[in-house]
Amino acid sequence: MSTEIMEFAELIKTPRVDGVVLHRPFMPTVEGTLCLTGHHLILSSRQDNTEELWLLHSNIDSIEKRFVGSLGHITVKCKDLRVIQLEITGMEECLNIASSIEALSTLDLVSLMYPFFYRPMFEVIEDGWNSFLPQNAFKDLESMTDEWRLSEVNKDFSLCPSYPPLVAVPKDFDDETLKKVATFRHGGRFPVLSYYHKKNGMVMMRAGQPLTGTNGRRCKEDEKLINATLRPGKRGYIIDTRAINVAQQAKARGGGFELEANYPQWRRIHKAIERYNVLQESLIKLVEACNDQSHSMDRWLSKLEASNWQTNVKEILTTACLAAQCIDREGASVLVHGTEGTDSTLQVTSLAQIILDPGCRTVKGFQSLVEREWLQAGHPFQQRCAQSAFSNSKPRHEAPVFLLFLDCVWQILRQFPCSFEFNESFLVLLFEHAYASQFGTFLGNSAAERARLCLPEKTVSLWSWVNRPQELERLTNPLYEPNSLVIWPSVAPQSLLLWEGVFLRWNRSSKCLDEAYEEMVHIIEYNKELQTKVNSLRRQLAQLETEDPLLHTP
Amino acid sequence: MEFAEHIKTANVEDVVLRQPLQPPSRGTLCITGHHLLFSDREESDSRQVLLLLRNIDAIEKSVENLTGYSGFFSNASHSERMSGSSGTITMKCKDLRVLQLDIPGMEQCLNIAHSIETLSCLDCVSAMYPFFYRPVDLSLPEQWGLSSPEMHYSQMKELYEKWRLSTVNRDYSVCPSYPPAVIVPKSIDDDTLKKAAKFRQGGRFPVLCYYHKKNGMVIMRSSQPLLGANRKRCKEDELLLQAVIEGSDKGYIIDTRSMQQAQQARMTGGGFESKSFYDRWKRFHRQMERGKALQESLIKLVEACGDESNNMDRWLSKLENSKWLSHVQNALSTAGLLVECVERDGHSVLVHGSEGTDCSLLISTLAQLIMDPCCRTMEGFLGLLEREWIQARHPFQQRCAHSAYSHARLQQESPVFLLLLDCVWQLWRQFPLALGFSEALLLRLATEVYASDYGTFLCNSDQERCALEVKERTHCLFRALLRPTERDYYSNPLYERTELAIWPSVHPQSLQLWKGYFLRWTQQVRHLEEAQEEIRNMVIEWGKLARS
Repeated sequence: MSTEIMEFAELIKTPRVDGVVLHRPFMPTVEGTLCLTGHHLILSSRQDNTEELWLLHSNIDSIEKRFVGSLGHITVKCKDLRVIQLEITGMEECLNIASSIEALSTLDLVSLMYPFFYRPMFEVIEDGWNSFLPQNAFKDLESMTDEWRLSEVNKDFSLCPSYPPLVAVPKDFDDETLKKVATFRHGGRFPVLSYYHKKNGMVMMRAGQPLTGTNGRRCKEDEKLINATLRPGKRGYIIDTRAINVAQQAKARGGGFELEANYPQWRRIHKAIERYNVLQESLIKLVEACNDQSHSMDRWLSKLEASNWQTNVKEILTTACLAAQCIDREGASVLVHGTEGTDSTLQVTSLAQIILDPGCRTVKGFQSLVEREWLQAGHPFQQRCAQSAFSNSKPRHEAPVFLLFLDCVWQILRQFPCSFEFNESFLVLLFEHAYASQFGTFLGNSAAERARLCLPEKTVSLWSWVNRPQELERLTNPLYEPNSLVIWPSVAPQSLLLWEGVFLRWNRSSKCLDEAYEEMVHIIEYNKELQTKVNSLRRQLAQLETEDPLLHTP
Repeated sequence: MEFAEHIKTANVEDVVLRQPLQPPSRGTLCITGHHLLFSDREESDSRQVLLLLRNIDAIEKSVENLTGYSGFFSNASHSERMSGSSGTITMKCKDLRVLQLDIPGMEQCLNIAHSIETLSCLDCVSAMYPFFYRPVDLSLPEQWGLSSPEMHYSQMKELYEKWRLSTVNRDYSVCPSYPPAVIVPKSIDDDTLKKAAKFRQGGRFPVLCYYHKKNGMVIMRSSQPLLGANRKRCKEDELLLQAVIEGSDKGYIIDTRSMQQAQQARMTGGGFESKSFYDRWKRFHRQMERGKALQESLIKLVEACGDESNNMDRWLSKLENSKWLSHVQNALSTAGLLVECVERDGHSVLVHGSEGTDCSLLISTLAQLIMDPCCRTMEGFLGLLEREWIQARHPFQQRCAHSAYSHARLQQESPVFLLLLDCVWQLWRQFPLALGFSEALLLRLATEVYASDYGTFLCNSDQERCALEVKERTHCLFRALLRPTERDYYSNPLYERTELAIWPSVHPQSLQLWKGYFLRWTQQVRHLEEAQEEIRNMVIEWGKLARS
């Protein structure tokens, strides 16, 4: 530990500057002392009436500095899309601060990240690291069907580095067969169970692409495995999240798709969901459009259009609806994959579950979904969320895949305002913590990496913090009424909106909207109170009536 | 009755009605002089649809004569072939709903289509439904409307010192489009007004439309001055305006046309107040779209909203192309400028464009909503609409003859009032607590303005209304909306009065498409309405509890 602290000290050239002026959205300008610590940028005016700024270095996406005389201006652009300005007198101080921030905000070493140093100031009621263990989720499945088993074939992560140690597979397949199948799928991601539709027993599986290559390799075990999930005489659907030509091209690099000849019981559907750098560019353009200061309506709408963000939202939602439709309406099982099976595949499988399964629309259910379909399913959060929309560095593996998923959930939530137990704030919170957090939940790229980093022992889980009454209260939807139905969102372009809560959050004051929300919560609470009062009065009346027979006589 | 000659087939059985958000139903169709009535055959929960023919903007018919392609299998008898023929009528309504009728029998279908076509666009105002609408629970009111210029003036004691009520227009001879009584500076006598009226288009001389109690500043409105090419001037007009800003160093004129447009207007006899004759008035030009351009914008927008191509780029570029949101932005920012002059800068303002019956009303109404908390209650808002749009005369009859679907050649149609409602909706969305009424009221008004049981939006001016005895022979919408049940329904459960001005953000990112109106007949908007309904019901329930 001491060597690590040494390292931070080396990076901090000037730990403290007085007389720094801070400008941030919707808050009064503050003058105070700026302090840099290993993980935080702190600005405090030492006055009671102003709010201190505590900014995680890992939340900083990029900084810009410029000088007017000897007065330095540092613009700090955060991954949660907030932009703040610091004014520092003295060129040397300013340069020192800027270079320290730059160095501290781009530290690559995971073990130096803040979650390893953070000690909770709250009482942990339920340790989030144990809240969503695969074996518990499997118990639910066992109560519905006996056709699946939990396999430990990946317990040391050797078969598939991006899978968790436990996965659900068809009961009749032994681990030896799974090993063979794993060699035939990208990254060893053999088909595993993602969702079981209780209503009709249909399933959704996910995998990596099959490694058919140019000469059409096949794998009997793979064919058998996925056929085992079909009911006699029934066909299934394979949803490939790539356009057909992209899938064709993948063959040249050893990948490919399931040929009809070898999978005669399956119908393949290709859907074009964008990936990686295309998505990252889309986000960058969108955020740039949102921050555009020009007053031209045409310019805004054409920039919004050019960013393609809404198109991406629509494509993902459409594909998820398709998967859900195959399962619920067609009564068919579905296998979803793209190339690696760690990005667009997860968007589709997790959104389809939100559409189909009311359980996923509760606070706990949604956490469990994120845990199952994103964290344990091996979405590389560390790589994807290393940079956000303001970064100047060349994107490598960055992509707002998870943010797009949250945006899609928000669209459904907006269309079904009473069907979700959680509210928009919960989605915004997940967005923020995926990019920068004091909690260990989103660290690492896979279950294997998380195990290696000993996260459950060394860091606090986000769920430990969220699942406390005071936080839950803030994140629950006052309009919630459990809806056991499948909810079909409209994916018409006219129905999809820009997610203002994230993208316009720092440009437009939400004060009035927040007030209205508070007022609504108030109304609903008062209503509940009145209802209990009415009920108890009714009970009293009934009791009086039975006690006093005179009341019955007219 | 004269309607009868247009109705060849009054009743058809076995018609299938398709309407948005509901499963198709089979039943009987009736055509009357003013309505299309459809009743479900289902005995258990029979549904009826009563549609004002006036609400129908355009119809399309397609007759399918099955003999055409059953010819190959010509076993069918003649009678079967005849009964096989049927027709479909698609009715596109002014409230943007699209309904479809499948009618058996080609001839019946053509008859029905013809009746709808003719009856839906009868021009004669006195034959319109409001003159026949006699609900049992309502007798014709003693007083039509919520107020009158006289009552308005008598309630505003602040005005007495410097302003007076002039009845110079009592027989509509000075300005046919003004009400009989108007508020003008006390120091200006009726003769001066008469002369000033001659110098303004349509006789619309500057009159008071709003008095800002906080600082005593006012908003005046008028039409353009008639300078013409040789720069005529009018001493009386100058005097009148001078009297408005007496005791202040200057006033502002907001001209809702661009500088260039205003200059061109001189060629046709109009113009603007030149600096040399009105030296204490500072003029701003803000180009606002009007007339045909606005109507075309609406048509494009509605077309975009109905686009089923499912392509995001296409939707966004069509939305942009329609320019509707730019018009919303422009109207709100011009109103913002007006408020800035009055509230922040503390000066009086005169607003006009050319005729002073469209954009001028739009921005003076918005400015009052932004500044004056009294205009933000339900009564206040309806009163404001009555003053600014009914009494100050927006030519509703001409502007709202057709909506977005009509194939008829555009004449005077223009959705200025709809644009106002959209802007008010944007205000409501940005300040959900500040307005005493809800989106539902705006939707109701947007429907009523195009087709109504009430006489409120009939005619083009007060004078026409008097000539047709609208005030004696029809019911008033605004009064109906303020009856307790309706008022409960349309009020905003979150309302909390604020004395502050509500400054809307006019950044393009802050303005949204009014989905509740433009996408009203699609599924997802319904869910939002349900949530709002839920809240509204709770509040209504409390009201009952509190009373019991």
